[in-house]
Formats: sequence, structure tokens, C-alpha cells
Amino acid sequence: MVKVHTSEKILSCAKVGVKGVVSHFKDEHVACRLISMGLVPGCTIEILHKAPFGGGWYVKSDCLHIAMRSEEACCIVLR
Amino acid sequence: MESERKPTRVALIGNPNCGKTSLFNFITGLQQKVGNFPGVTVDIKSAETKLPDGDVISWVDFPGLYNLYPTSRDEKMVVQSLLDTKDIYHPELICYVADVTKLEKHLLLLDQLRDMQIPLILVLNMIDLAQKENLEINAELLAKKLNIPVISVSGRSGEGIENLFDAINEKIERVKISIDSPHSGYKFSEDEKIIIGQLEPVFPAFSAYKRLLIAHHATWLPFISASERIHLLSILGENSFKSLPFQVREVTHRYNSFTPLISTVLKKKVSDGFTFSEKLDGLLTHRFWGLIVFLAVLTFLFQSLYIWAEWPMTLIEEGFSSLSNYVSTHLPEGWFNPFLTEGLIAGLGGILVFIPQIALLFFLISILEEIGYMSRAAFLFDRIMQLFGLNGRSMVALISGGACAIPAIMSTRTIASWKERLITILVTPFISCSARIPVYTVLIGLVIPSKTVGYIFNLQGLAFLGLYLLGIFAALISGLLLKWWIKSDEPSFLLLELPDYKLPVWRNVGLTVWEKVKTFTLEAGKIILIISVVLWFLANNGPSLKIEAAQKEAKRVSIEKQLSQEESDNLSKAYLLEASYAGILGKTIEPVIRPLGFDWKIGIALLTSFAAREVFVGTMATIYSLGQNDDELTLRERLAVEKNPETGKSRYDLATGISLLLFYVFAMQCMSTLAVVKRETKSWKWPMIQFLGMTIIAYISSFIAFQVLS
Repeated sequence: MVKVHTSEKILSCAKVGVKGVVSHFKDEHVACRLISMGLVPGCTIEILHKAPFGGGWYVKSDCLHIAMRSEEACCIVLR
Repeated sequence: MESERKPTRVALIGNPNCGKTSLFNFITGLQQKVGNFPGVTVDIKSAETKLPDGDVISWVDFPGLYNLYPTSRDEKMVVQSLLDTKDIYHPELICYVADVTKLEKHLLLLDQLRDMQIPLILVLNMIDLAQKENLEINAELLAKKLNIPVISVSGRSGEGIENLFDAINEKIERVKISIDSPHSGYKFSEDEKIIIGQLEPVFPAFSAYKRLLIAHHATWLPFISASERIHLLSILGENSFKSLPFQVREVTHRYNSFTPLISTVLKKKVSDGFTFSEKLDGLLTHRFWGLIVFLAVLTFLFQSLYIWAEWPMTLIEEGFSSLSNYVSTHLPEGWFNPFLTEGLIAGLGGILVFIPQIALLFFLISILEEIGYMSRAAFLFDRIMQLFGLNGRSMVALISGGACAIPAIMSTRTIASWKERLITILVTPFISCSARIPVYTVLIGLVIPSKTVGYIFNLQGLAFLGLYLLGIFAALISGLLLKWWIKSDEPSFLLLELPDYKLPVWRNVGLTVWEKVKTFTLEAGKIILIISVVLWFLANNGPSLKIEAAQKEAKRVSIEKQLSQEESDNLSKAYLLEASYAGILGKTIEPVIRPLGFDWKIGIALLTSFAAREVFVGTMATIYSLGQNDDELTLRERLAVEKNPETGKSRYDLATGISLLLFYVFAMQCMSTLAVVKRETKSWKWPMIQFLGMTIIAYISSFIAFQVLS
């Protein structure tokens, strides 16, 4: 599943306020859970907040708001 | 015949936060009872109600889940029940509850359920919010496209519930005539078809999609027999079946099939700006302000806990003490009288006195949950919690632990990772619970001077705070150690949906409080009661020779000191306690606890604290022959003048006081908590480790404190 792209944009490298479109996921476990919650490839995704102490991400996709750890955010590749 | 008709089992299923439980609460109210899936500690709520036309419905509120590929135990139980037609919760009809404002996300599970051969009704919940958000839904068209009844309701206000009942009635009639099984039209991939085909001879009674699910869940589904499992696993091995890629493909295909449908039935007003929830989260999940708000919320929570819970607690205490007096004067003398008043009634009072605090804490916590704040707190603190082997969701348990560890430990079931859940269970009892407060009050008042330091801080208040912080510190440090020690290779994650902020539904809050109080009373109550009675027996009986000698000695001293009737009664009680089995036990353990600065009297109090820590106060009052004057102030005054016979100095000096306080902060002295930990972890291993670990920490810290300070 791990695709090597030199210009790959990873969600966790983005800053708060960045909007993007989900291209694919780098980990199947995370992919499975995110997809079932409704975060599917092709969705727009926006980073709303970041937790303190180097903590998790608060992202928005359509009507869905999800909190996730950076480990999970690392698996989301943007187009 | 009518009355003998078996109730139809109707399940409420839906995504987390779809408002399913609000709907269930609205329909069933106080009739609901919490049951267990056989063999596992997954709570499931059910209730029987009668529909207007006379059909009896047995409602089951299943845990929320996103799809049929579960990650937590709660979710697994749902899948198991749906697959196994012999399961006691296997539904005859599913009411699939979807939040209409998030319909495009909530249709995935429905799509999967359409292939489960169980009749379905789609319940569009939160229709009141949809109207507010200018959302238009064409329910008729949706019903036609999906080929299942679609009903719009509001679980909050009850709007549309009659229509739901009508739909259920109609459905039940049809179910009786023939199997009514919907189908989603999902097209299997070639690989899936191969697996499904090869599994047909092994599981002939199951539909194609159910066989596929069995393949995915081959390792854990309990209804598969050993031989079936071997056969199944070998088929999967031969085909080098990989669950995850199959899941991703299936779910993606399903989304692709129903997404176009949604745009035809749902008209949404697209708003560009931030929603109300998003604006509020700008403050509440802010890196800095979010923490300030959290601290403020927590301070308010505990302040109100102590202020508001005080008068009902006093009321209960006084009520039980007068009941005990009344019974003791109106019943004939004999062993039964003290057994009833000092054993049973006192034990019951010891349970009920906790209820105001527990009820209040869960009232406030469930308001925070209802509003949607708790998941924000989990998000804010997840990283810190992770450092200590915990999970953002452990926050709820740790806060609840401030009232009582028992409901707190039961609240950890929402943590999906077993390791993080276990660590939360193991460290929660370090958080100072309400039973420790009376002990802290007596001892701090005794050994810490009431001085003002730094202009505004009271030294005793600071000591109180210090003990709380010490408990939190111990919880975190043990978490850190356990994180290294407990090995686990299951993935840990936090994927938390942050629901929109909503006003609390008071019905839900009330039911939560009711349920928690009930659980506490039944779970902890019975243990506290049994231990109270056993301890009463040990404290009131002893070897007859010793008892007689003690009685004589008490009489002699009374005459010698010319004590009044009441004084001599109290003295004789103290002598009798010393001669009792409890006294003997206290003296037996004295050599062990002497290095901590404790004598046999404290030893007895430590033993009786196993019922509940606050029993310490009552036991000490009996030991120091205070009779009925067992309030904290009287006891404190009495302890202050107690001398150590060996040194001639005050018995409760700073060294002993601090040592005893530390012991109460760290030691695992609560049998009820151990019993709950055993139930939640399914083995005696963890409660034993917890008991030993906490007691060793308590012993060592008390030892060091006493040796350094004395």
C-alpha cells in the first residue's frame, strides 16, 4: 500500500487552516477506520485546530469533525 | 392467546452520536435495564414496551458502531449478535438510526445491514435540527430508492415517534407472513466471490454477505465451532485472504453506490463560514485557552461537588444515626439488636452516604457528555495521557475517580485499546475518592497547623490539595511504569468524532445518574454491606476468656476513676474491642506496621477500612471510646491528647500523621473496587497486582515519611 511519491503531501505536515483533498491513505488500519467514519478519498479535509503539547489534530471533512493523533494524520495523503 | 405472544425483538443500531440512546430513552424511560452480553462485560440496554395496538416490543439498544468491521469489544458484540441467529439479542427487526444532518456518513452501516437478511426501518433522527439548518429531505424518495420504510423522528422531542410505531407494526405483520429481506445491491469482487463460494459448504445457512463477514471475523466469532474454525482458517489460508484490503474495497464501493442517491434526496444549504460549534471550538480546543477552560470546568465540578453534596450527606448520616438509635431502644436487647444497629444499619448508611456525591458527579459529567464537551477534553489531553500509557478518553475515568473508583472503572469500556483501558483501570484508584475525604479531614486537622501562608493560602487547605495532587501524580507515574511493563501489539489510536455542541437532553442526564447510582449501590453496596457485617462480628466477638477479663478490667478502672455511666460504657466498649478478634488481628499486624508509626489501634482501623475508607473515622471513635460522638471534630480532639506510652510524646505527631495520610492516599483498601476490577478484567491477576502494587507503594512511602520525620 505504501506508495512512494516525491511530491506527496502528508496531512500532518500541513498547518492549521490548510484545506486539501484526500488522495489515499498510507496505512490500511487507519484507512479502514477513517473510511468507515466517512473520510473517504476524494473528500475535502481542513485542519481546524491542533491540540497542545504536540498533540492531535482536529480536522473537518464536510459535516464531519474528527480528532486524531499525529500517527493517523501521517497516513493521510493529500492530492 | 394474545398475552402469550412472544415480544418482537427490535434493535436500535446506528453510528456513535446518531442520537440512538436519546431515542431509546424517550421510548423506554425508566423501564430499561442494563444487561450483559453473555460472558463479556459489554453492557447492553433493553426494555419491553407495549405498542399502541398491543404488540409487545423488546427493545435492544446496541452500542454505536461505524461499520461491520469492529475494533472495540462493544462493537464486536453487535456484529456477533447480528450474525448469530441463536444469540439472545439477535434482532427480528432493526431500526437503523441515522443523524439526518450527517446522512451521507451514516448510510454506510445501513448499506451493510441491508445484506444481513434482517428486516429494516430507517429512522432519520434529529429532524428538528434539520429544520433549523434548512435541510430538506425527501424521505419518500429515499424509501423508494432503498426499498425500506423511512421515518423522520426527533429523539429529543419525541416528534414522529407514533409514525415509527406504526411502521414497526406494519413491518411485524409482514415479517410474520414471509421473510422480508432487503438487499443493498453490493457487487462482490472476484476474490470475495471465491471465498464466499468455498465457505458455502461450511456455513450453508448463511447468506453470501454473512459468509464474507464470517471470513473477516474468523478468529474471534464465538459461535463457530472448533472444527468449523479449522476448516475456515485453512480455506482462508489457501486463498491468502487479507481482511484489510477487502474491507477498504467494500466500504469504498458502498460509498460510491449510495453517494449519488443522497444528492437526489437531500437538499442542503451550503454555508461558507464556520458553524457555531466550530467557532466555540476555537476557544474550547485552543492550545492555551482550552486548557484554562478545562481547569475552570474541573474546579467548578469539584467545588459544587463538595458544596452541594454536603447537606444531603449530613441528612443521610443523621437519618441513619437516628434510625439506629430508634431501633436500638425499641428492640429487645441481645445479640440481634447491636447486629442490626451497628452492623447492618451502619453498613447501609455507609453505602448511602456516598450517593449524593456520586449522583452529583455523574449529573455534571453527563451534562458535559451530552453537550459534547467530554470528547473535546479527550482530544486536548490525549497526548499527555498517551505519555503515561493512557488514552484521551481516560480523562473521564480519572475525573469520575474523584467521586468513586467503581463507576469510574466501568466508564473505561469506551477505550478501544485493551492496554490503555487496563492501565486506566489500574491507576484510577490512586485518584482520591470521596471516601478518603473524612480521613484526610481528621488527620490534616490533627497534624497540620491552620496557618496562613503566602497571605492567602491556608496551610491545611494546601495539604488537602497536596494529597490530591499526590494521588494524581501516583496515577500518572504508575501509568508510565505499566506502559513499559504491559506488552501489547494491538494498534492504539484515537479517532474520535467531535459531535456538534447541543443542549443536554435532561431525560438522558437523569437516566445516566439513575443508572450509575443503581450500579454503585448494587455493585459496591453488597460488598460494603457484607464486609461491614463481618467486621462488626469480628469487633464484637472474641475468645470468651479474653472478653471476660476485659469486662472485669473495664469495671475495675471505671470504679477506680469514678466514671459516669456513659463514660464507663464507652470505656468498656474500648476494652472489649481490644479483646475482640479485630483487636487480636490489629495486635497481630502491629509488628508489621510499627515501622510506619502505627499501633494496633490504627491497625484495626486499617483493617476496617477495607469496607470503605471512611469507616476509619467510626472505628477510631469506637477504639477511643467516644461512643456516639463519632464526628470528625470530637475524634480529632481526642486523638490530639493521645500519648505514646513508650515515649510519652503525642501519639499522633507529625510523623505518624503524615505517614498515615500517605498510606490512605496510596493503599488499595477498597474491596468493592477490587471486585469491579476483577469483573472488568476477567481475572484475579490484575486486581491482585493492583492490590499488591498499591499497598507496597503505600508501605514504602509511609515508612520513609515516618523514619525521616520522627
